Amino acid sequence: MDDKLSREEVLHVAELARIAISESELEKYQIQLKQIIDSVDKIKEVEVDDDKMLIANWSKETTLREDECGEMLSPKDVINNAPRHSGNYIEVPVVIGEES
Amino acid sequence: MKYLNKSVLELHELLKEKKIKPIDLVEEAFENIEANKELNAYITLNKEEALKQAKELEDKEVDNVLFGMPIAIKDNIVTKDLLTTCASHMLDNFTPIYNATVIDKIKEKNMIIIGKTNMDEFAMGSTSRTSYFGAPLNPWNKEKISGGSSGGSAVTIAARDLPFALGSDTGGSIRQPSSYCGIVGMKPTYGRVSRYGLIAFASSMDQIGPMTKNVYENALLLNAIVGKDDKDLTSAEKEPEDFARLIGQDIKGMKIAVPNYFMSDIVTKEVKEKIEETIELLKNAGATVDYVDMKYLDQAVTLYQVIALGEASSNLARFDGIRYGFSAENPKNIKDVYFKTRQEGFGTEVKRRIMVGAYILSGDNAKVYYNKAMSVRAAMRDEFKRIYKDYDLIIGPTATTTAYNQTDSIDDPLKSFMDDVLVNPANMAGLPGLNVPVGFDSSNLPIGMHIIGNDFDEAKMYQLASYIEKTLDLNLTPGGEK
Repeated sequence: MDDKLSREEVLHVAELARIAISESELEKYQIQLKQIIDSVDKIKEVEVDDDKMLIANWSKETTLREDECGEMLSPKDVINNAPRHSGNYIEVPVVIGEES
Repeated sequence: MKYLNKSVLELHELLKEKKIKPIDLVEEAFENIEANKELNAYITLNKEEALKQAKELEDKEVDNVLFGMPIAIKDNIVTKDLLTTCASHMLDNFTPIYNATVIDKIKEKNMIIIGKTNMDEFAMGSTSRTSYFGAPLNPWNKEKISGGSSGGSAVTIAARDLPFALGSDTGGSIRQPSSYCGIVGMKPTYGRVSRYGLIAFASSMDQIGPMTKNVYENALLLNAIVGKDDKDLTSAEKEPEDFARLIGQDIKGMKIAVPNYFMSDIVTKEVKEKIEETIELLKNAGATVDYVDMKYLDQAVTLYQVIALGEASSNLARFDGIRYGFSAENPKNIKDVYFKTRQEGFGTEVKRRIMVGAYILSGDNAKVYYNKAMSVRAAMRDEFKRIYKDYDLIIGPTATTTAYNQTDSIDDPLKSFMDDVLVNPANMAGLPGLNVPVGFDSSNLPIGMHIIGNDFDEAKMYQLASYIEKTLDLNLTPGGEK
């Protein structure tokens, strides 16, 4: 088994994670991510009844609340928390017409 | 005059009798923190506001035992108008516009927030060394790690800066630093405490809990923060109870299980011997202690990696450089905003974990890893439930070692996971876990015992922990008087 991921594999997970990585980071992650993934891989070998699943330790039926208007945050406060904003709007680079 | 070395009950009496004022405690807490500045336990201090609040309390009736008490808050719990960084560059300019539910609850009791404590970045780590603001230092020996991720909270309590702190625990982050720093730390049952306003790491395991210098005061703080919250669907509806009610009661007849894995070769000799001594103490008090085999405990780290990292990659997708927090300069386009912000805003450990999480959840991997983990997790919980049919509590060491050197294995991406091998299972199964100090190793570093309770059985855990605490009567003040 290889002791590191390929460059393409690292670039793929970085793309999924929406994280840009530099050349030096890439080399480091090839080794380090592989170490963690090898560890994670051991889960495959555990013998267990595959029918039963526990997604969270919370077994209650879904509960619904009344659809009433509660406390709300002030739009001004929310907008002010955005790194780039103008008036009542959050500013982002042009999206329309951009190639992704 | 110094007051904060007294018990909370004594302080409460003094406040009630008007012999001291809340501001005396607040000023003393800030003096202590200043004197212990080198420990780097805090990211932000709330001095101006705390002094103002203390002044305002002078006209109010001392109506509860926590009234006027200084408290430190882990910096991943949002506090309105008070910087909340998660120890990350990503949030180093982030001022929340609302309070976490636990913050509203302690404010109802008129507790006074002194500051926000240092931690591993986004609670990811076991040493607090991943903090963007540098690691806190262990008050027992400054060359040693504090443990993590709630390292700053553990340090400020151990150093006796103030009586109360809140931490959070996803895979051991309250209990393990409590063990390394010689304090009492409780991770309550999943659902006991509202997670609203706790910046999410792994939502199916995250839980807020109290960190204190003794068992009784821990129960007092838990009393204040529990309860159903409409803002957290996973918070549990429970009858109100006093978690301190069993403290002081005899443990005769209590049935305790020790999983053999918890006492296997993964634990150092010194830690193991100290736990064995404590077990003898419990037997002498009339408790039954049996060694038991439990399946799946050795899978806890792997299981944690799949679940915690998977959930983290999804939870941390919200840090996009658009709505709040850090945003990279001069982005060329929208994609650049996301990618560069996350490259520059997150530290190495966090990026590693997000990427592995993304890998685990991508395409067919989700089935191979995540679904499988859900099955192992169900099996692990069943295994705990099997033990609780015959036993009241499960015990073992909290950590496999005592606090290690700040410079040790800093580049090993697996080490921080292995540090939590004994505390992960309680998070997987949603069970409450508590650290209580039981002694010291040959270098005078604290050793902690881990008590795991059945669902919502915190009061019984405090009963056992307080018996141990009272019987051992350890001096738990680093380098000082009891």
